[in-house]
Amino acid sequence: MVIVKRKELSLRERLYLPEVVRALSFTFRALFKRKITRQYPEEGLPVTEVTRGQPRLTLLEDGENLACVSCGLCEAACPAYAITIDGQETDRFIEREPERFEIDMLRCILCGFCEEACPKDAIFMSDELELADFTREALIYDIDKLKRPKAALQKRIDYFYKVNDRWRKPSSTS
Amino acid sequence: MEDFLVILLKVAAIYGGVIGTAALYTLAERKVAAWIQYRIGPNRVGPWGLLQPLADGVKFIFKEELVPAGANKLLFRLAPMMSAVPAMLTIAVVPFAGDMTLFGVDTFGAIAKIDMSAFYVVAIGGLGVYGIILGGWSSNSKYSLMGGLRASAQMVSYELSLLLGILSIVVVSGSADLYDIVDAQSGAIWRWNAFQQPLAFGLFVIATFAETNRHPFDFAECEPELVAGFHTEYSSMKFALFFLGEYCAMIVMASLTTTFFLGGFEVPFWADAPWVIQLAAFGAKTAFFLFLFLWVRWTLPRFRFDQLMSLGWKVMLPLSLLNVFLYGALTSFGAFGD
Amino acid sequence: MTRIILNGREVEADPKQPLIHACHTHDSDVPMYCYHPGLTPVGSCRICQVEVKIGEMPPRVVVACRTPVTEGMIVNTEAPGAHDARRQCLEFLLKNHPLDCPICDKAGECDLQDYSFNEGQGEGRSVEPRRQLEKRKSLGDVIVLDQERCILCSRCVRFFEDVTKKPQLTVAGLGSRSTIETFMDRPLEGNYQGNLADVCPVGALTLKKFRFQARVWNLKKSFSTCGECSRGCSITVEVLRSAEVKRVRPRYNPEVNDWWMCDTGRFAFPAWNDTERLSGSATHAGASIAPKPSADPTAALDEIAAMTRVASAETIAIVASPWITVEEGALVKSIADAFGAQATFVSPPANDLKDDLLHTGDPCPNRRGLEELGFVAQTADEVATLLGGSEAGILIGERVGSLIGAERLAAVPSTSRIAVLDTELALFPAACVSIGVPTSAERTGTWVNVDGKRGRISAAKPAPTGVTALTHTLEAILARVARVGVDG
Repeated sequence: MVIVKRKELSLRERLYLPEVVRALSFTFRALFKRKITRQYPEEGLPVTEVTRGQPRLTLLEDGENLACVSCGLCEAACPAYAITIDGQETDRFIEREPERFEIDMLRCILCGFCEEACPKDAIFMSDELELADFTREALIYDIDKLKRPKAALQKRIDYFYKVNDRWRKPSSTS
Repeated sequence: MEDFLVILLKVAAIYGGVIGTAALYTLAERKVAAWIQYRIGPNRVGPWGLLQPLADGVKFIFKEELVPAGANKLLFRLAPMMSAVPAMLTIAVVPFAGDMTLFGVDTFGAIAKIDMSAFYVVAIGGLGVYGIILGGWSSNSKYSLMGGLRASAQMVSYELSLLLGILSIVVVSGSADLYDIVDAQSGAIWRWNAFQQPLAFGLFVIATFAETNRHPFDFAECEPELVAGFHTEYSSMKFALFFLGEYCAMIVMASLTTTFFLGGFEVPFWADAPWVIQLAAFGAKTAFFLFLFLWVRWTLPRFRFDQLMSLGWKVMLPLSLLNVFLYGALTSFGAFGD
Repeated sequence: MTRIILNGREVEADPKQPLIHACHTHDSDVPMYCYHPGLTPVGSCRICQVEVKIGEMPPRVVVACRTPVTEGMIVNTEAPGAHDARRQCLEFLLKNHPLDCPICDKAGECDLQDYSFNEGQGEGRSVEPRRQLEKRKSLGDVIVLDQERCILCSRCVRFFEDVTKKPQLTVAGLGSRSTIETFMDRPLEGNYQGNLADVCPVGALTLKKFRFQARVWNLKKSFSTCGECSRGCSITVEVLRSAEVKRVRPRYNPEVNDWWMCDTGRFAFPAWNDTERLSGSATHAGASIAPKPSADPTAALDEIAAMTRVASAETIAIVASPWITVEEGALVKSIADAFGAQATFVSPPANDLKDDLLHTGDPCPNRRGLEELGFVAQTADEVATLLGGSEAGILIGERVGSLIGAERLAAVPSTSRIAVLDTELALFPAACVSIGVPTSAERTGTWVNVDGKRGRISAAKPAPTGVTALTHTLEAILARVARVGVDG
């Protein structure tokens, strides 16, 4: 047990009024200090490549096809079970592509496991942060809502390779 | 006939002014709070957020009206009115300006001019606490009841100091008419009662804080302990009425402090100023006290209830009595001889 | 039995089986690609190398699948030499194997993937390009061959040689140019092609029907029994997201089907995914306009009780489907006994799928079980006659309507009042009541196959809302008609 003796107050402190005046003068000066409020929708938040925004699918250089081959590793890695993928066959060299790729953004916890699991550089955490809509259905994002040109995600991709290059190299599929 | 119309005009102007000021005052409260905390405050509705009170009003109207089960329905509905009405009634006798001529009618800058207006103010002002007590009791909620109880105890304690402060002014001025009290302070600035009776001034200002349930004496609400105190169960326009009552009471108290201690509408060294100037002077002095309410609220932490009581009974009451005795004796020995 | 010492432990081994079989039966997980317990061992992949010491000879590394078990041999599967040999072997196998796992359907159940993960090195040392071969070579209607992924274990070749005895595949070419080919590029034939996808240890041979349909780790697997013939092969039903059967695979059962099953049974599952089902129940009077089914079966059950009450006992027909289980059959029999009626089941004619291996040609999975319960088999025509002559009838079980035939049912006069417990709404003049029943992927029970072996079926996926277990429905009917019997 520790006994803490309360500090004896001086007369000035016990009178209270001088301290009141000191406090009032402090707050009065605060009235004219520079304000630190950020006017959010107009000013926006500082987004760096470290920020994990919502996951987005990258398009290949041709700008049409997804890099995703619907291997299901992000689906398996997702701790919130937010991802649902159905695959289908294509005539391209990579024989498989997603027929359905849905991320339930209501479930997504923005952990970035999908990004780490992906062997094909097909999913990255973008810098898009705003997430609001009027119905639940609209927040289950399908391929059309998720796909982004690679250039839009390039900053994050570069950062991702920078921090992960100890164990990972750019994918070298034959 | 014209007299009647002028009186009607004055009533409309004063009540409109007070309620308008109360609305702007709610915005001012949020703005000052924000500035003191290095924020900007409401700025989305209208220029500089000026339409925010309007938006708040619209919101209040569209909120759901709730009456708790087990509440005393009559008193529950009556309480907000009991809180707002006395504050507004008090305004009737406050002198906003001296003699004036409106549309060829000679009149004065208040709604009513009565001999005992200083006591009228105290009598009506004392009713305000009923709104809080009844609101707290009729809600059928322990938090509300505690809030109401605290409010009553606090009001009784501090009304004494308030009364005694006014009493010493009345003794010195030799009249209970607010116009006479203002007249007695005309001329030089040191004739203001604030300089004549600094102790009474200090006690009166502190008592006004307690009387309006403002920080650091807002034990009737006291969020960390009582949720929202006496108005926990209130919603929608009934809550808005409590809100309006609180802000009107602050305006009344600020204008009374001005009247009793800062010379009211008198402009220093210019006894015959036109009424517009007098009104402006009154407004400026009242505005300072209004600001003081906000400034103190966002600066000082809340007292403990026992501290509040011991301050009221052990410090303020003896000092007030001493003050009355002192100035009564001085007056009877002719120190303030006419 | 031969006694050997396996990893320092003395165990008994079957002398007729290769050493790898003894290792596997005694919890020593020796890898294997070319070895399959149902096929002739050839020792072509060399991944099953273990260290063996016989007598006074120094220990040496041999392939476990081609080494016979001898008395007193000392086997060490974890010896450094054996590990090294396996690892080097694996590296050669992976030399030309494409890094296709994200695309490959085998990923997740691939032996090569598993052993690479356990023992292989993280990065390849090879700088030469991998073999470029045909990645989508169609081998008939069932199988697609990806030549790049093939590790030339020749299990598929031996499957046709050993199991169906009609060789159709061969390893063509020499050395690194070897590929699996059919004779003259002819498509594969026969009713057992689907097994190739099961025996293939990598993703080289895949089913066209399953290609890119699902990731195998998302499939919920439940053990069941095939209902396409009276053989009753043990199967595993694999369901995606508790909704859709994606694949059916044979399950090892030495008494019935070993490791194999026919394509007829393997590809019968799409019927289970049919969403155009009767869910709930409906009472109607043979209307041509479909009545709206209700989720509450009480009205339908009461209607059955009512129509059997007015009928005289000898004119009540109880006709079951041969797909009902023994448990359901017992309840049907009780209902028939309550009326004093003869329980019968529809017996469709034998089809021409009968072969020497598994398929019996008899499409009734529970014929023997029902006959043991005292059911009488009747052809569709006999059933139609029976129904036409009866005042009330109950048809029970999935497919019962289609087995009798729509035309025969339409010919039943509307003086008969018939209740149908089937997967679809009964729309013929005599039909009064329809109650939805679960398919055999949605219920549990027992079938007795042609040899008297019992096969469990289990619910692989939930039945649609409103469809209750057939046993529950039958119990409810039994409770109602039994009360009628007591009341007189």
